[in-house]
Amino acid sequence: MNENASGADRQQEAQLIARAREGDRVALRELVDLHKDRLFAFIWRMTRNHHDAEDICQEAFLKAFASLGTFSTKYRFSTWLFTIGYRVCLNGLRRKRNVTGELDVSALSLAGENGASQSLESEEAGQLKQKVWEAVDRLSIPQRAAVLLFYRHELSCQEIARVLEFPVATVKSHLHRGRGRLREMLESLNEEDLHQFRSLSG
Amino acid sequence: MRCEEARQLFDAYLDGELSKSLATELAAHRVRCPACRRALALLEVSGQIIASDREPVTLDEDFSGRLLACVEAPERRWPLRVRRTLFYAGPLAAAAVIALAFLGVFDRGNGAQPHEVAGHKETREVPVYVPGEESTGDSGVNSPDETAAAEYALEQWMKQAQQNSEAKRQSVESLHKALDLTIGQWLDILEEAKDASASEEHFPGADTPLEVDGNETDPIDIPVDPVD
Repeated sequence: MNENASGADRQQEAQLIARAREGDRVALRELVDLHKDRLFAFIWRMTRNHHDAEDICQEAFLKAFASLGTFSTKYRFSTWLFTIGYRVCLNGLRRKRNVTGELDVSALSLAGENGASQSLESEEAGQLKQKVWEAVDRLSIPQRAAVLLFYRHELSCQEIARVLEFPVATVKSHLHRGRGRLREMLESLNEEDLHQFRSLSG
Repeated sequence: MRCEEARQLFDAYLDGELSKSLATELAAHRVRCPACRRALALLEVSGQIIASDREPVTLDEDFSGRLLACVEAPERRWPLRVRRTLFYAGPLAAAAVIALAFLGVFDRGNGAQPHEVAGHKETREVPVYVPGEESTGDSGVNSPDETAAAEYALEQWMKQAQQNSEAKRQSVESLHKALDLTIGQWLDILEEAKDASASEEHFPGADTPLEVDGNETDPIDIPVDPVD
């Protein structure tokens, strides 16, 4: 989702959008296939629920396709799609919060989610990763979104501002506070684990 | 550089926005100060993990196909959860009806048929003691006193009937609970579907403002800024 994609890529995307607007099924499918995994990864990290994330992705694509006529190709489709996805996700989280009160992050199931990767790495590294993700889950919604978009999806603060519909300064503030909270929550990690992980990850 | 000053530079450093001179000063402080070294290491390691850890879940392979089917047939635009519930609710309801029929809930008529509830065999035939006939022992009545035997048999039958009635009541109650849960879930699902269709009608630009962590966000009206 890099905004600095080459002009050729942008041109190709514009052509794809133009075909999709005319109802070209192949073009629509290509758009879905190009963006679904990244959108799902982001939404799943926000909701931590596979079914919810899948529903939200579907909803986001359908809304995007329904409004494709209003989309301007001077923007990246992916940023636009993430903006819609984030908005649908917020609606879903708000509904859930209305039903259950505050979001209960302790109910988020971490069991087995990193099982596949843990089998390939040391127990210490697996535990460290689990602690980091638990800490991410405990961030507020905008903090979590900003942190995920910055680190995992490699968006700049300007791009995150567009997705979250915040001023850039607010995004930086969310990132700053998110990092601060992560640091507080991970204070219990010992120096040896950190050193080992850093040397392993190069 | 003091720790306080160094920590104020952490974000700019992590965002890659620190000038070379300040980056050098921060690096020098980091070498000297174990606390700042550790704080920065925590942030760097967290960032590395968030950036590179493998995604443990993926979308179903047929997601694209199902999505395009929804585009072509808007009436299929039910949340996936609703569709899944519809898939399971039908057989569940059928099973409940069969279970009720099996328990004899719908049977208000012929009392002569035996019914089996929760392992108890209920026989509605009253054991009859026929004078002059020897007891077979089936009824458990071995008293030579005919009147006493009849009374004893009647008492046993009433106890058995009470036990069977209680077992049936409990089974029916548990079934009712299961049916109530299903109905409750249905109401939730219908409410969700109603919300979803309501929000569709307002897109784009007319969605209700959201309250998230005290910050009210603007209604969606995208895109907002030019890319470049």
